[in-house]
Formats: sequence, structure tokens, C-alpha cells
Amino acid sequence: MNMSEPLIRIEGISKKFTGRDGTETTVFENLHFSVDPGEFVCLIGHSGCGKTTILNVLSGLDQTSSGYVFVGGREVSGPSLDRAVIFQSHALMPWLTVMGNIAFAVSSRWPEWSKDKVRAHCQQYIDLVNLTGSEKKRPAELSGGMKQRVGIARALSIQPKMLLMDEPFSALDALTRGVLQEEVLRICAETRQTVFMITHDVDEAILLADKIVLMTNGPHAKIAEIVVNTMPRSRTRHDLHKHPHYYRIRNHLIDFLVDRSKAFAGDSASHDPRHPPLVTPGLDPAEAAVSPAGKPLVAVK
Amino acid sequence: MSAFKDPFDAGTSLTTDCSCGHHHSEAEHQADLAAQTADSEALGNRVVEAAVMRALFPHDATRRRFLNAVGASTAMAAISTFFPLGMAKEAFAQSGNLEKTSLKVGFIPITCATPIIMSQPMGFYARQGLNVDVVKTAGWAVIRDKTLNKEYDAAHMLSPMPLAISLGLGSSPIPYTMPAVENINGQAITLAIKHKDRKDPKSWKGFKFAVPFDYSMHNYLLRYFLAEHGLDPDRDVQIRSVPPPEMVANLRADNIDGFLAPDPVNQRAVYDGVGYIHTLTKDLWPGHPCCAFAASREFVTKMPNTYRALLKAIMEATAFASKQENRKQIAEAIAPANYLNQPVTVVEQVLTGTFADGLGNVRKDPNRIDFDPFPWHSFAIWIMTQMKRWGQLKVDVDYAKVAREVYLATDAARLMKEVGMKPPAATTKKFSVMGKEFDPAKPEAYLASFAIKR
Amino acid sequence: MNRLKSWGAPLLSLLILLGMIGVWHALTLPKTAAQTVDSEYAALVGAAAATGQKSAFPSPADFGRKIGEHLSDPFYDRGPNDKGIGIQLGYSIGRVLAGYLLAALVAVPLGFLIGMSPTVYRALDPFIQVLKPISPLAWMPLALFTLKDSAVSAIFVIFICSVWPMLINTAFGVASVRREWLNVARTLEVGSFRTAFRVILPAAAPTIMTGMRISISIAWLVIVAAEMLVGGTGIGYFVWNEWNNLSITNIMTAILAIGVVGMLLDLMMAKLTRLVTFPE
Repeated sequence: MNMSEPLIRIEGISKKFTGRDGTETTVFENLHFSVDPGEFVCLIGHSGCGKTTILNVLSGLDQTSSGYVFVGGREVSGPSLDRAVIFQSHALMPWLTVMGNIAFAVSSRWPEWSKDKVRAHCQQYIDLVNLTGSEKKRPAELSGGMKQRVGIARALSIQPKMLLMDEPFSALDALTRGVLQEEVLRICAETRQTVFMITHDVDEAILLADKIVLMTNGPHAKIAEIVVNTMPRSRTRHDLHKHPHYYRIRNHLIDFLVDRSKAFAGDSASHDPRHPPLVTPGLDPAEAAVSPAGKPLVAVK
Repeated sequence: MSAFKDPFDAGTSLTTDCSCGHHHSEAEHQADLAAQTADSEALGNRVVEAAVMRALFPHDATRRRFLNAVGASTAMAAISTFFPLGMAKEAFAQSGNLEKTSLKVGFIPITCATPIIMSQPMGFYARQGLNVDVVKTAGWAVIRDKTLNKEYDAAHMLSPMPLAISLGLGSSPIPYTMPAVENINGQAITLAIKHKDRKDPKSWKGFKFAVPFDYSMHNYLLRYFLAEHGLDPDRDVQIRSVPPPEMVANLRADNIDGFLAPDPVNQRAVYDGVGYIHTLTKDLWPGHPCCAFAASREFVTKMPNTYRALLKAIMEATAFASKQENRKQIAEAIAPANYLNQPVTVVEQVLTGTFADGLGNVRKDPNRIDFDPFPWHSFAIWIMTQMKRWGQLKVDVDYAKVAREVYLATDAARLMKEVGMKPPAATTKKFSVMGKEFDPAKPEAYLASFAIKR
Repeated sequence: MNRLKSWGAPLLSLLILLGMIGVWHALTLPKTAAQTVDSEYAALVGAAAATGQKSAFPSPADFGRKIGEHLSDPFYDRGPNDKGIGIQLGYSIGRVLAGYLLAALVAVPLGFLIGMSPTVYRALDPFIQVLKPISPLAWMPLALFTLKDSAVSAIFVIFICSVWPMLINTAFGVASVRREWLNVARTLEVGSFRTAFRVILPAAAPTIMTGMRISISIAWLVIVAAEMLVGGTGIGYFVWNEWNNLSITNIMTAILAIGVVGMLLDLMMAKLTRLVTFPE
């Protein structure tokens, strides 16, 4: 794969539903964005803007009404082992053990592997997510956080080109969520994994993402802008808020979610959906050379 | 004839022509022999045994010495161990080459089936080289279906059933045959004990009666009886079909007021104190047929030898059962759980005709049930007139032709002769039912003479 | 206190049993009535009829004796119409298992198909709705007529009565497999065969087993009636044969045996259900 080519390229996708009474609802339309290899991209938006649909389209579980999705230069036609999904509800099979759940994925990826080889491979990922010792437990015996660790291990174990995460920590309590977020940060740093994640948690996005895609409210949801996280990648949950960029980015995001996400639909005159503005609210306005019209300093491509 | 001498009798010589030395003349010798070996089967056995003994002991003197030394029964047992005498005897009995030796014959647990049932425990089937399983069956419809399905090779049926099956009444028409009647008489009208003071049939309006089957003598006789007493069997009373084994339970539960049923049902109702015997059917029509031995025409034509052997066994059994002195012995043989599953005394009372009537009297009527295998064509014709009378048969039929095709009187007569019974010369006869004469030559006139009919 | 708790329930059960037997005993105490007929007549009829009564319901002692008799020789064989209660139960269980397994072979795959395809579901639903409520015994004459064999017909009746709960439960279980498990399989590019066996089957197994448990109970209920109808062998035939003989003690023994076997079958299925059930 050509490294200059983004791993994921989305071109003008839209999704329409036909209701029972025959009326057509457009959830989102004409979305364009891309994800580069090794990049961690978060998508933020209010409920109803079609976030999960976008993720399902990327994974191949759902189809768009129009537009194209390319992964590694090839159009997506269905699910693939190249794109592992971490589900919000963890989606573990309750009749299998921790080892069994992961082994199911591994033996799907490499059906020719021997049992021992599969087991050894699984163990590696169980260790990676700090579940050593719980291999024989069934999901019902695990806490919510542990279940999601299994979900993460299962996704990583097939060594996908990219991870797709659908609000993976939203069902967890705040403490567990924090621990897992750092865990993901660590793992991504170790594996240089490309990640596309959906969230509605601003802090989570700032902590994890390199880029944050902001969506307007549905129906007819659009990408308003893409926020570049200008904080260094070696951030931790502990000292995140100490960085000068933090509050600027955070305020920008909250400001968007509270006000602009609703109002955005109006100012489409200057908005080019093919090239959503790339903004860097973290930088000091002085050092941020942003054109008055809000055009990005650096084009997406 | 020397071949038929008892080879296990040390006194007889197998090599000389006759002269066993015990008789003054050949004729007397033969008569004695005939008495010893009363039936052809025993004769056949002797032939086989003699042949085996001759083969084993070519010198007559040696054989006699051997028999004198060990005794006849020991010799027979000893020889049986290395020579399958039983098999040889069987092979001989199958002179006509039985097409099939393992048969299944269905029966309903009632005394009408006596010849069919007793032939098993008393060895009448075995003597014909047949290995017959008599299988108890839950009801007439089931026995009909199982016979039509060829699960049973032959079956105990009600004498109107082969006619009904052949005519396609209640099932699709299948050529059926009835080579033998099993029993005559032997049915009774039994009423619940609570009706012991309502003996007059005219007071039975509104009663609920049970009969074993729609196509049964019981149904026709009860209807006839009621109609003769001025009751319309369809309007004044209710008649329903209940399998015999369930009748006493129903009488006890007050579901019915009475029934015209085969025995031991009537006697069992008396035994359990739930009913009394009102009228024996022999008093309505002395010598009426009831149940029958039936087989499909296919079985008769495809396996003529097996059919003949089976029928012969039934004939012999019927002849045996027709003798009063054998009845007690038969009762003991057929009462156990494998057959009728009734207390012996109940079966014995039915067969001997010395019975409790349910009202405290002991009645003696040796003809309560009797056994006569001859399938009179006139019986079939009478049955068909009643089928027509009550609307079961809605088209005109050639009475005589159907009777001839279904009631195989010729076969019956031939085999009756073989087992020493005296078949009648004619196949039809006049008889009277409740004093009213029936002429088989004029069935339509007879039918027209009834006031109550459909 | 704890000891009382663990012993309390069985003790109470025992007391209830003893109480019932006591009432039964009291109700069936032999009535001493003078013989109302002469002795010649009395010899010809049952004891009750001789005293002007109907034959009485058996006492617990009669019943106990009869059970002892049956248990002392449960496997005797005295000809085609008289076999021990153990043999008869064996025949019935054999028939139930044959019909039941056939039903499972048909119902589970068909239920899978119905559960996975809404089109097939809608196409077959009217048939299922019409066929399901038919009393299995109503099929008997039809079965005898077409199959031409009473043993096969009895098995067919068991088949037809056990097929519906299994079919409906399988379809329901398969249709309600959680979407996300199927999605996991899809994202892992698992083939449809492997998905069926590794995901749908284990996920639907508890529901399927519940259907199978209902089925075996129904099958056991129906076999008794079916055998009473066709006769020959089996515990249903035994009941019919003893009804024919008006032997209430034998019938009660059979009823007890039917109950015990039914309970054992149900326990067995409950155990199997527990094996495939998973906590969520």
C-alpha cells in the first residue's frame, strides 16, 4: 500500500431511510473524510446523526444509499477481517470462555492453524489486555470492563489493518472507563494501530484522537469540521488537563456540540463538503494562521 | 400300512407287512391303529418317526432290543437330540408346501373368538405346521385396518364385516372372504342392574344402548328386537358403537343403560354386579351366526396351502369346541391375560351355559354358545337385508352373488369333511328370527314386510 | 434449625402421602354385608356381586401387593398379548424415542430455516398454525390408512405431536439470536455453515432444548393414548388390556409407572437443558 494514500477514504456517502408512511428521511449526506495509516480518528456528534451507521458502513455491515468507501484503495463490498470491530455492547458469546471467544476470532482468521498455535496466539492478546488468569472464565463471570477488554483482545488478535470502535466505553463506569482509555492509548502506541472510533465523550476524544470529526445534527447531518488534536501523543489522562491546548480544544468542542451543531445547517454557502475545514483550536490564535473565512491552513490532502 | 405303526412300540415290527401279533386280523389291526392315531397329524408323525427309526436301526431286532432296554419315551427324547424329529414332522405336515408358516391372526378378546384363540395354546395351529401369533386388538375398526394393511394374515371379524368390506361400506371396497363362521349364539342383551324391574322392552324408550360395531350381528339383532317390540331403534333409543372391552366400564359409569354384546362382556357385568342378563340372543334366533374367521381374497389366492392349513386348524378347533365336554378345558386355556384376560369362572359360565344371570338365579342353557363353522349363504343374505333395512346399504345388490363370493361355503364344506364334521348339502336354508320366517330366495319381499325400516 | 429446614419438606411430603393413603384405606374398607344369594350363585360371581353390590375400588393394600407382583417380575413374556410391565414400558419408551428423534431431525433443521428466513417463515406459518392444534390422535386413522402399519403409525403420531414445539422453539430461538453475535461472525468473515454451528446453534440451544423438553412430555402423554388405540404392545396397551379386565389395581400400577417414567424423561431433558444454557 502506498503510504501517501489514506487507509480509509470516504467519498460523498449518504444514507436514506424510507419510513412506513413512505416518507424518505436522509440521515446524513455527502460526507467526505479520510483516515491515514496509524492515525486515531474520533467521530463526535449528537444521537441521530448516524454515527453508528457510518461505522457499520466502514465495517461493511451496512450499506450506503450513495457514495463510496475505499479501504486501502479498494471499495468496501462487505465485512472483512482487515477491519476489526469493537462493539459498544462488547458482543461476547456467553457460551464461550474468554479464551474461546478470542480463539473463535483467531481460528476464523487463520483456519489452518493448529489448536496449540491458536491458543498461544490468544494468550498473547489476553496478556496484552491484562486478563491473564481469566482465560477460563465465561463472560457472565466478568465485570463490564473486563468484558470490553476481551472485546478489545478479540479485535486485536486478528491483527486487522484497522480497528473500528463504536462507543466502546460508554456502558462503563467513569473509573473503569478511564483505565481502559489509557489501556487503549498504550496498546495503540505499541501496535501503531489505525483506529476509527465513535464517541460522545469530549474528554475521551481529546485523550485518544489525533483528529476529531465533528458532525452536525441529523437529519441531513454533515461534517462541520475536523479538529486536529495539537497536543503531543504522549499524553496521559492524569496530566491531560495541564496542557495549555486542552481547554481550548475542549471549549471548542463543547461550544460546537451545544450551539453550532444545530445551527450549522444554515451556513453552507462557504462550506465545501468535499473538503471540511481542518481546524486547530488548541493552538494559540496568534500561532494559528487560520484564514478569516475559516478555510483550513492545511488542506486535508 | 406298516409304515404307520408306532416305531417306538417295542412290540411292533417295522419290516414285516402287518402281523404285529396283537390282532387277529388286518382289519382289526387297522381299526385299532386308526383309534390310536385318531387324526391324520398323529399318523403323519408316526410316518416320520418310523422312517427315522428305520434309518437308524436297519435291523429290526436291534431296534426292539434298544427300545426294550431304554423305553420308548427315552428313545424318542434321545433320538430327538440328534435328529430333529419335530422338524421332520413339520416338514411332512407341510405336504402342500406352506407358502408362509409364521402368521399373525388378530382377535378381539371375546368368547366368539374361541376357535381362533384356543388353537394357539391348544396346539391346533402347530399341528398344521403353522406358527401363529394371535394378537389382541383394541377394536373392530383397528382389526379391519390392520388386516387391510396386511399386518394380520387373517382375523377374527364380525360376520357382517367381510360383506361390508367387500361392498365398500365404511371403507374402500376390497374383495374379502369369510371361509368360516366361528360361533353361533353366544350373545345377550344385558341391562344395568338399576333397570332390574324394567324387563318389558316397551318401557325402554330413551335408553342408551351399546353394540360392538355398526356392522355387527349385535346391531342388527338389537334393532330387530327393538323394532319387533315397536321401538324405532333410531328414534326411540340411542344405539352407539362401543368396543366390547369398554362396555362394562361404561355400564358401570352409567353412560349406557344396556348393551347387546358378545361374551364374556355380559357375564363380566354380572360378575362385577353392575348388570343382569335380560335375553340370550339364541332365544331370538336359535343358531344365528356371530363372529367369523376372515381373510382377504388376496391371501386365499396367493397362499392357498397356508390358507387351507389355517382354515383346517380353525375347523378342527371349532369341532373340538362344539363338544360340551371340552368346554371347561377351553375356558381354562383362553382365560389368561395373554388371551381374554378374564377370571376363569366368567369364561367357563359362558362356554358351559351354567351361569349366574345377575338377578340371583343360576340358569342352565348348554346352547348359550355353540360352534358351527359352516358359512350359510342364507346368513349373508339375511345380514344384507338388514344392512338395507337400516340404510347402511343404499344400492341394490345381487344378494346371492355377494353371499357366494364372500361366504366360502365350498371350502368350508370340504375341510369340515376332512376333520370329520358333517357339512350340510345345501348352502342356503330357511330359518326364523323371533318367529318370523326368512326365505333366502325372497330377500326383497322379506325386507318389504317390516313396518319399521329406513 | 437448619436441620429442620432440610428435613422439613421431605417429611411433609411423607406426611401428605401417608394421609392420602390413610383416607384411601378408610374409604375402601371392606363393607361387611350378608350374602344375599345362595352359595351356588355366589360361586359364579365376584365377591361384591354376591352381597348385592358392585365390585369395589381396590384398597391401598391391594395396590401395594400388585405393585410388588409387578416389580418382582417386570420382564416376563407369556405370549404376544401378555408381557411384563417392564417390557411394555420398554416398548413405549422405544416408540417415543423413535418418533421423537425423527421429529428432532426434521424440526431442528426446518426450524433453523424458518428462523433464518422471514420469507420461509411467512410461507410456512399458515401451515404450522393449522397443523399445530390438531390432536395427534386425530392423525391415527389417516396414518393407519396411508402408512399401512400400526407400529409405524404410532411412531408417526409421536412424531407429529413432538414436532411442533421443537419446530416453533427452534425457529424462535434462531430468529432471536442477538444481532451483534451474527455481526461478530460477519466481521470475522465466518462462513454460513460455521456461523450456523458455532454461533446460531449454541445461541439458540437453550430455546431449542426448552422446546424439546415440552415435546418429550407431550410425546409421553400421547404414546399411552396411541397404544390404547392400536394395541399390541406398550404401556398404553397394558392399560387398555387391564381395563378390559376391569383390573383397577393393574391400571393404577400402570398409571404410577407412567408418571415415574414421565418424570424421569423430564428430568433427563432438564439436565440436558442445563448443559447448554449459558448465563448472560
